[in-house]
Amino acid sequence: MEGLRSLLLESLSRYGMPFPVDKKVCSSWTNELPRNGSTIIFTSCMYQIEPVVPILSKFGPYTGILRGVASLAKMVKPPKEELERAYRILNNIVKAIKRKGVDLAYLYEEEPYSGAVLLEMGMLDEFAEHARKVSEMLKERGITRVITVDPHTHNALKRYEEFVKFDVEVVSYLEVIDPSKKVEGGFTIHDSCLYSRFLNLREKYRSLILNSGISLKEDFFVTGRETSTCCGGPIGGVDPKLSEEIAKRRASELNRLSDKLLVVCPICYVTLSPHFKGEVKDVAEVIL
Amino acid sequence: MSWDVAISRAVQNNLPRVYKNLENFPYVLDLARQLREAKMEVIRNMEKYVEMTVESVKRIGGIPHVVNTVDEARDVVGKIVGTGKTVIFGKSMVAYEMGLRDFLKERNNEVWETDLGEFLIQLANEPPSHIIAPAVHMSKERAEHLVRDKLGDLRKGATHEEIVNKVREFLREKFLKADIGITGANAVAADTGSIILVENEGNIRFTTVSPPIHIAVAGFEKIVPTLYHAMIEALVQAAYAGLYPPTYINLTSGPSSTGDIEMKRVSPAHGPKEFHLILLDNGRLDASKNPDLMEALLCIRCGRCHLHCPVYRVMGGRWGIPPFTGPMGAMWSYVTHKDPKPATLCTHSGGCKEVCPMKINIPRVLEKIKHVYFKRS
Repeated sequence: MEGLRSLLLESLSRYGMPFPVDKKVCSSWTNELPRNGSTIIFTSCMYQIEPVVPILSKFGPYTGILRGVASLAKMVKPPKEELERAYRILNNIVKAIKRKGVDLAYLYEEEPYSGAVLLEMGMLDEFAEHARKVSEMLKERGITRVITVDPHTHNALKRYEEFVKFDVEVVSYLEVIDPSKKVEGGFTIHDSCLYSRFLNLREKYRSLILNSGISLKEDFFVTGRETSTCCGGPIGGVDPKLSEEIAKRRASELNRLSDKLLVVCPICYVTLSPHFKGEVKDVAEVIL
Repeated sequence: MSWDVAISRAVQNNLPRVYKNLENFPYVLDLARQLREAKMEVIRNMEKYVEMTVESVKRIGGIPHVVNTVDEARDVVGKIVGTGKTVIFGKSMVAYEMGLRDFLKERNNEVWETDLGEFLIQLANEPPSHIIAPAVHMSKERAEHLVRDKLGDLRKGATHEEIVNKVREFLREKFLKADIGITGANAVAADTGSIILVENEGNIRFTTVSPPIHIAVAGFEKIVPTLYHAMIEALVQAAYAGLYPPTYINLTSGPSSTGDIEMKRVSPAHGPKEFHLILLDNGRLDASKNPDLMEALLCIRCGRCHLHCPVYRVMGGRWGIPPFTGPMGAMWSYVTHKDPKPATLCTHSGGCKEVCPMKINIPRVLEKIKHVYFKRS
């Protein structure tokens, strides 16, 4: 665990991300948004970088790759197809936000990481320090409103005020947009734990999904607020085997309901996809 | 038969039952709210309530013992029990925390667990895998094989009922000849010194009444302000554990007594002549003064968080330090053993906090314990 902590801190210091990555991978999904503005989209590079997690997991616990941080920077690039998918999702989200008349800016390579992994692993001193830096940066740039695109970033930013003075409004894109497509057919759904049980957004995205025309195949003991469970992703860095086993079980439960699965989080997508028999889609690539 | 099968059956059997209880008996939700407030009052003033409980136990003719550590607890119990006795346990996770079963056996006592789940893990020489269903890791097939192997004379393919009956036959004689009965306590009333025990098997009732000496062991956090709150705790615990109404709620206030001759109250009567209450600290007082940890002390050991947790569903009793396994166990492994490592496996799935009758924000408590882990390393 100490190795994992060192890797995270070293990567954050050198690359601005919790593991080594070329920031261009994070920012190349758009060149159409202005760099300055009071409202920004905050991707925290989550959609862009999540597809590399399966590559990292081949190395076992992150501690095993500590010595190769520098050389790893070359390797941590998602497969082209997955990267294109991530970019498509982000552009779908931006178009949907703009349709609501929001002037949106983006910080490109200067966009900071949210610090989510520090918070979720309990590295609270480091998270507080990270939050302080991000908070100061946003303040210097006159940013007053942040629109997030994933639950982990949303959760981390929402909790900044517990650790530092933070006057920025944090909203999820799910609270801003309307569905832009009519979709036929049924899906089952895997909730994001954070959205569903910590951030009170569960009904928000359910109503968006239902308004798009999708019928959700639910079961109280599989997709209920109290009874659904994590995909296993958040524990991947600490115990990859445990993470994988949780994912297998969750995918199997969901497969009992459907062979088409909606997710609302890039980590859930990456964690469940290898085990779910059928099609896994992010809500932003289906209803937008 | 694997853990996967056993836990999957337990989840399928238990979850619908708990939801049905809460739907059919909605007043339980209100009782749970009252209980949380009452327990929080004790947590904020723990030393005061320990003193109050001690005085109340003395007043009703019982013998209170306040111990700081499990070693002290073993010393006290060892002196009461002595050697060469027959001791029956009525299911207590605090007794497991104290290591009492092995301690008393080492002192040449015949020791038997009488709760079926505890009895099975005693036969198998395994630790409990769940706070109230200690043998939840055992499938019916495994339990059948174990009972046949250890007690004999059980047909292949025996039903659940036949397995239970075999154990019942075996234990009947132990209940009758036992010198000492040791139980836990679901709740201890500070105002009367009474203990409340909730159960379904009848073994606890036997254990508290049949032997001449009854020793109850409880952590400080089991103290509630009044007997009213102690009764509430029994009802809430039973409903959230999945068995409601509970078959038995046992109230014990000191040794047995009678006033049937000239209305003069004398002790003992048919029940025990001695009643000891051992109140254990072992980290609880520290936790009560720590704002990051104090909520952990609200736990009423219903075991519901376990079944809603994806980590427990995979790891079972391997997650935490028995008897403290699962989400509550990850908190309690730190409270009692100062071990923060189990907390690091929490995925903050959050189902635990949603279903906890005491509304403990378990992922948040575990986040703080993870913080301790990283600070230490």
